[in-house]
Amino acid sequence: MNYSGPGHIVFVQVCILSSLLFFSGYAWAEDITLKVSESSLAAAAETAPVTDAGAGEDIWEDDGSWDEEWDVSPTIADPLEPLNRLFFHFNDKLYYWLLKPVARTYAAILPVELRISIGNFFDNLQAPGRAVNSLLQGEIKDSSIEVARFVLNSTAGIYGFGDFAGDVLELRSSEEDTGQTLGYYGMGGVFYIVWPFLGPSNVRDSLGKMGDAYLHPIILIDVDWEVTVGLWTLDRVNYTSLTLGDYELFTETALDPYTAVKDAYQQYREGQIKK
Amino acid sequence: MRRHIKYIGKIAASLLLALVILVNGEKTPALANDALAQLQESVDAILEILQSEELRTPERKKERNQRVLDVVNKMFDFREMARSSLGPTWNTLTLEEQERFVELFKNLVEQRYIGKIDSFDNQKVVYQKQLIKGDKAMIYTDIVDKDLEVPIIYKLQEIEGKWLIYDMKIENVSLIVNYRRDFESIIRKEQFAGLITKITEQLEKSETQN
Repeated sequence: MNYSGPGHIVFVQVCILSSLLFFSGYAWAEDITLKVSESSLAAAAETAPVTDAGAGEDIWEDDGSWDEEWDVSPTIADPLEPLNRLFFHFNDKLYYWLLKPVARTYAAILPVELRISIGNFFDNLQAPGRAVNSLLQGEIKDSSIEVARFVLNSTAGIYGFGDFAGDVLELRSSEEDTGQTLGYYGMGGVFYIVWPFLGPSNVRDSLGKMGDAYLHPIILIDVDWEVTVGLWTLDRVNYTSLTLGDYELFTETALDPYTAVKDAYQQYREGQIKK
Repeated sequence: MRRHIKYIGKIAASLLLALVILVNGEKTPALANDALAQLQESVDAILEILQSEELRTPERKKERNQRVLDVVNKMFDFREMARSSLGPTWNTLTLEEQERFVELFKNLVEQRYIGKIDSFDNQKVVYQKQLIKGDKAMIYTDIVDKDLEVPIIYKLQEIEGKWLIYDMKIENVSLIVNYRRDFESIIRKEQFAGLITKITEQLEKSETQN
């Protein structure tokens, strides 16, 4: 990489912006701790309906918001359904025949604390992307918290293996991504897509994934694609080892698993965008 | 490094514990008619069954599940849930058909959520806030499982002094909406009769597995 000329200036600007965000993010730490204990106390101590000011918070700004949060938009279009069902079936078999047995063996070898730390490590690498996307959505506070989380967890959290910022300082991730930013600016899902290996998605979130890839720190180091795929697989196996049983329980108790997963994906993403 | 991680884990655990204790400590009989108090009471009852060492033996698994279900049955308004999951078809049914469907629906929900009971391992429930409007309430909670936080929002309605759950959102996914779309996809091709057959088969499938 060459840091001369305009590139150098951009680099310095990014550094200044990041440190500003870091310090403002860190400043939220104490505030948030207070808020958490206050709100849980308030929730328990409140006898009267919480409709009046106080613990009611922002949701009570107007009457229309009561059910709004529960509203769900119509089912997403699915012009590729035959193909999608094929890939759903493929991914399902992939889970039972490969991912699950591997994740089980993996879980038997590595203790759960270590697997949680590995999960933290991969999660921490997505913090820069989350910071950028929070900023793009005008959430300066969330963005600064992401930057603070990234800096603190990469150092005090030891390369991101520990969630120091979350566990000790109560700095919680906002979990934004590029797909949500596109949604924030009004883009709908367009239509449903099931990718082989990657699973459920839609047009918006597929574009979003490409954006996320550009915001991932791994692009700063020159690695072969095999390494990227290997790391992605490890992340996936590690995550599966921590959530074994959830996929089976949901799909095996649905009448039409394809439809149930499609809807769950749509609702889950819409909820994330609304936040 | 391991020590460091454990240390952080301990801080987190004690913080959470403190929250739970704070919330529970504030509970007084005066709150008996409160939606949150009623939900907490039921959740505490379930946690007590799940944490009981005596009930953990394989021979008593059935009894343990049954005791949890007894509490669950008193928390949910299964008739209302079945009605809204089925959508417009509900009104075309006779009273007997409706009752049969409610029973099947209840078993279907139990099948999905009872499976989670076996994997219970000291998860914590943190109550965030409750919103009340007339006879409706929303309660925001987090289940803390290992290092994952799962947000669950309950929607309750007060019926004769009792708050009953009629929908819940786990990770933003509404249980009712999800079942409605699942049922719709079957009804579209095989009508209501086909739906009944599918649910019956689905319930038999798990019985042979157990």
